[in-house]
Amino acid sequence: MANPLDAERMGGLPHWEPQDVIGQMTLKDLLFSHDYRHIAIKGMLTSIVMLALGGLMAMLFRTELALPDIQFIQARSYMSLMTLHGMLMVFGFAIPLVISIMYYMMPKVLGTERLLWARGAQWSWWMLIAAAVLLVLSRPDFTWTFYPPMSLRVVGDLAWMGYVAIILVALSEMVAGAVLFRNGWAAKGRFRMMPLMGWAALSEGILLMVSTPVLGLVGVFMLTDWLQLTAMFDTARGGDVMTFMFLFWFYGHPAVYLPLVPAIAILYTLMPRILGKPMWSYWSAVLAFGLLTMLSFVVYPHHFQPAETVAGPLQRATQILTLLIFIPSTMHVFNWIATLWGDPIPISAKRSVPFKFIIASIVFLILGGVTGYVNAQIAVDSDFIHNTYWVPAHFHAMFVGFVANMAMAGVYYLYPYFTGRMFNQRLGSMHFWMWQIGIFTKVMMMYVLGYAYFPRWVVDYLPLPEWSMPQMMLTGGAYLIGLGFIVFVINIMLSAKRGQAVSGDPWVVEHGLTGDAAATPAE
Amino acid sequence: MENALGLSGYQAIMMTVVFALGLLGIAGLFLAIFWPKRWRLKYRLEVGFVVLLLALAWYADNRSTAIFTQYQSAIRESGTLSAETTAPSGQFDRELRVIAFQWGFAFLTDKNEISRNAAIVKPGEKVLFRIYSNDVIHGFNIPAVGITAEIEPSQEGSAVWIRAPKEPGRYLIQCLNYCGIGHAQMKAWLVVEGAEETPEEEPQA
Repeated sequence: MANPLDAERMGGLPHWEPQDVIGQMTLKDLLFSHDYRHIAIKGMLTSIVMLALGGLMAMLFRTELALPDIQFIQARSYMSLMTLHGMLMVFGFAIPLVISIMYYMMPKVLGTERLLWARGAQWSWWMLIAAAVLLVLSRPDFTWTFYPPMSLRVVGDLAWMGYVAIILVALSEMVAGAVLFRNGWAAKGRFRMMPLMGWAALSEGILLMVSTPVLGLVGVFMLTDWLQLTAMFDTARGGDVMTFMFLFWFYGHPAVYLPLVPAIAILYTLMPRILGKPMWSYWSAVLAFGLLTMLSFVVYPHHFQPAETVAGPLQRATQILTLLIFIPSTMHVFNWIATLWGDPIPISAKRSVPFKFIIASIVFLILGGVTGYVNAQIAVDSDFIHNTYWVPAHFHAMFVGFVANMAMAGVYYLYPYFTGRMFNQRLGSMHFWMWQIGIFTKVMMMYVLGYAYFPRWVVDYLPLPEWSMPQMMLTGGAYLIGLGFIVFVINIMLSAKRGQAVSGDPWVVEHGLTGDAAATPAE
Repeated sequence: MENALGLSGYQAIMMTVVFALGLLGIAGLFLAIFWPKRWRLKYRLEVGFVVLLLALAWYADNRSTAIFTQYQSAIRESGTLSAETTAPSGQFDRELRVIAFQWGFAFLTDKNEISRNAAIVKPGEKVLFRIYSNDVIHGFNIPAVGITAEIEPSQEGSAVWIRAPKEPGRYLIQCLNYCGIGHAQMKAWLVVEGAEETPEEEPQA
């Protein structure tokens, strides 16, 4: 069924030569070089550091949450850990990691041979690091959504740093969006023959460039409100909280697709190479990217739907649009499964670690995605969904289950290309299984807790049996993810020195002579 | 448990649909990898699948809207909201005004009797809560009757109503929106009085 042109426009051939980019890189290269590989590696490394930091914070508060009552973390420290966990993971880990992988892949896949406007990518990285430093220093305790007037009242003297960090994050993401759009636009065979990564770059660029100026504006108003120069959002001084809600979530909803779209793009790039054949449908994917981009800007009131002001036609429209946004994501999943079904799966694919991570990420995209169907419905949302653990379950399935797994597939896939060596397969598989069992436990327990009305953002809870048991298991799951991460770090560090040296194509597609290869596809 | 939104039936259908869709997807994925038979799907199959999703979206929108509109109409008929209104509208067996604050709930009866942290009702009563916040954004959730509201600080407030549980006892009322450092302690009780009207047990947090 697939168009014969697809193999080429999907970037079906290997482009890179395995070489020790990291080993030959000086510190100056790492910090200031405009070579796309250096910028991308820098982004990946810092994202992994942020993952370690955010993960460590999660380990701390998960230990606290394993049992009811307060054990060793007080409410304020708990909220600082929770806020930093959310902000570092979303702004510091998920979004920059998948964008960095795109930086690495785009020049070859899109045929531009270099990262256009690399200076922008450089600035974007530096601003992000500055934002992360300011955030950690200010130790905010107002959650990643910093709803005023709460956020204007409860924080200490260093709150301004938090608001400046938000402005910097907005600027950093906007510039990254411009870089992605620039590169997507320059892709060889624009529109008709463009690899799917090009469409993703355009889509992600639009999402970033349109949504982040509003976040920047919100950051500026938060700062001036805090300095008592303005009273945009502070109700006590004549401001309006709903203004904040509409502005913030106009960024906040596209924001949740910011890590999703590049992760989908990485999947569309890796899958054809690992299977040695084009995707099932090119135009279905393009259509899905387009629909996702358009719908993502209009569904945001569902984030504060039970508020009294979201009523009548606005409420109904939000519900309908949110139900429809289910469709483009399902089209992507349909495309992937149809691709897998079309021909025998090569033996080489079944053995490879990136392929395992790809399959797991699809499972979690399904697991997180299907609940979107109930989340969208006002009647159910006003019962057990809004602000219970159900919502973290939904987005951890998406962010960790899909995005982080997919990013790991990307990192493992690119590993031989920037170290010249292959990682240890056994450790890779170990990391894979620890993560999948851990993430599955975590997501399912969060769903169970959400269904039992466990509230978000609490350090202490009543010792109800339906709450304490899943909380304990959830903590177990989190530890397993942490262990898996340690295995991953050991693997990439040791293999860079001791791994088997590779040359040529490290991901040659091999069909075995036995097993399913014998089956012939039915039309 | 009686549910004010009337969802117990509908919610069960929805959870089944979600479970079935998820299972279908994951089964499809694993079959595509492990089942030896290969199958080149026709493009029209995806069109059919999207039509199925559209039908599901259409059904969900209609049912959810019908349930919610019916629920809301009871509140609308009880008249406009005001923090000063004390006269009961007659639509409900009991009307309570709720002040959500950092960090707790206060309940005022129509006789202006105030109770910190306990809403006292009779079994099976239809109870209206008019909820106001004068500081930050709060939530109002009663798990036992399946209702959640988000309360923005404003003059108008929000309204939710419930059908009180038939079993006498204490039921948790909690804040679901992060509202500051005391958020985890922002709890109250829905006390459903027995026939004797002697709540024996002491509330313990």
